[in-house]
Amino acid sequence: MKDVYILSVETSCDETSIAIVKNGSEVVALTILTQMDTHANFGGVVPEIASRMHAENITMVLEDTLNKAGMQVSDVDAIAVTYSPGLLGSLLVGVEFAKVLSYVYDKPLIKVNHLVGHIYASKIDNKMEFPVLALVISGGHTELIKMTGDYEFEKLGETEDDAIGEAFDKVARVIGLPYPGGPNIEKLAREGKPTYKLPKPVLDNTYNFSYSGLKSSVINLVNNERQRGNEIKKEDLACSFQTTAVEELTRKLELALKNTGIKNVIIAGGVSANKYLRGQIQELCDKYDAKLNLPEFIYCTDNAAMIGAAAYPLYLKGEFADLDLNAKSTSSIC
Amino acid sequence: MNLFIDTHLDDVIILLYDGETIVKQKILKDQKENSKVIMPTIKKILNKEIPESIIIVNGPGSFTGVRLGVTIAKTLAYTLKRPIRTLTSLECMAICVEKVEKIVAFSDKNGYYIGIFDKDCHLVGNYEYLNNSQFEEYANNYEVITNVELDYKKIIEFALLKEELRPHEVNPIYVKKLDIEK
Repeated sequence: MKDVYILSVETSCDETSIAIVKNGSEVVALTILTQMDTHANFGGVVPEIASRMHAENITMVLEDTLNKAGMQVSDVDAIAVTYSPGLLGSLLVGVEFAKVLSYVYDKPLIKVNHLVGHIYASKIDNKMEFPVLALVISGGHTELIKMTGDYEFEKLGETEDDAIGEAFDKVARVIGLPYPGGPNIEKLAREGKPTYKLPKPVLDNTYNFSYSGLKSSVINLVNNERQRGNEIKKEDLACSFQTTAVEELTRKLELALKNTGIKNVIIAGGVSANKYLRGQIQELCDKYDAKLNLPEFIYCTDNAAMIGAAAYPLYLKGEFADLDLNAKSTSSIC
Repeated sequence: MNLFIDTHLDDVIILLYDGETIVKQKILKDQKENSKVIMPTIKKILNKEIPESIIIVNGPGSFTGVRLGVTIAKTLAYTLKRPIRTLTSLECMAICVEKVEKIVAFSDKNGYYIGIFDKDCHLVGNYEYLNNSQFEEYANNYEVITNVELDYKKIIEFALLKEELRPHEVNPIYVKKLDIEK
């Protein structure tokens, strides 16, 4: 079969990224322009500024990707773009940009869900074996999904309140760590011990998660200690929080491994870059003799390569979008 | 053919100018989701023709509207390797006012974008955004023109005399400050 090259675009949050992906699994070129330093000045992503920076940089990011690949847009077979979920203004820049490429070069346009993109990140340089349990963990999502084939999703459970990444960011803010909170908690936690007693989240037998209780108890603990004039051992608190937060994931994943007998696991989304979490899930998978498919770090956080990987099955099915495609701030995988 | 794109307000305006007259035009009023209509309209207007150049109204106005128009225009110019020129929404107004010196303004829901122009339609000073009460006071002291019948032929001919830009350097102008910048 002829090789399929997809040029993919991702602008759902604060990374302007364009990639060219071959046959849904081989990254020919990838450019990621992050705005993290700009948003760090404001303590978090400012949506309007994110949209502005995407519009300023997107043609330059394209030029960089094409130079890296040594290709022209006319050489690819399709244009793929993240249309949802994410920051609406940011998504729109990518969507309009992708439509122009599709129009000018007369290539099919493929709309890709950002979360599905995170799942398909594990297909890069790798094979996806079904059935598989996919744990999608990011700043906006915490979901456990069962996949029986390409684009065949069944949601087993999801967070009842905060997403895990959101909890990491909020706890980071409370203990005075700069943005981005998640990676900074992970760094600090390495120097600490889990000495603080924190409540365990949902101890039920569903596959749902909860993080608001854990987050609130950390905030209360910090406030109480401050009022008493006690110093907080930040590294120990970061470690205690991370340990409990990850335990919540592994407990539910273990339940699913036990109940379904599935032997393949994917972790996807920005939080999957957390090394402690990767280690814990690897241990769990070893215990159940399951194969853990870990994307490389670069494909864990937002990037266009995963969008190209997720677009490939849609290309094969001929599921194309029209020029009236709109962006959507919210949507779920299934 | 020269392609003119203006999406700085809720209206989507796409025109084709052949060097003498506007040969095709689509003006879609009050588009709430203009992302759905801009590209389909451009496709229809161009009808497979490749434009010689692109003119984009790069603001000020609706942040999202301006940004979508600019993103489309700069990407078209970059991929088609065609010259691109920008002009502002207030320049469009000033060009169509038969006066030597003029102050033009238009409102969004909270205030007014305003610009002062000399006899050659060059901006004097900077564009400003005044809230409604600031604008009222200003308008008591100066003659401000807010209602202009736009002559697109004149606007495009004015734009074509402007400098060609590299697509990478074409960006929206927003004028109005964000709360976070204040």
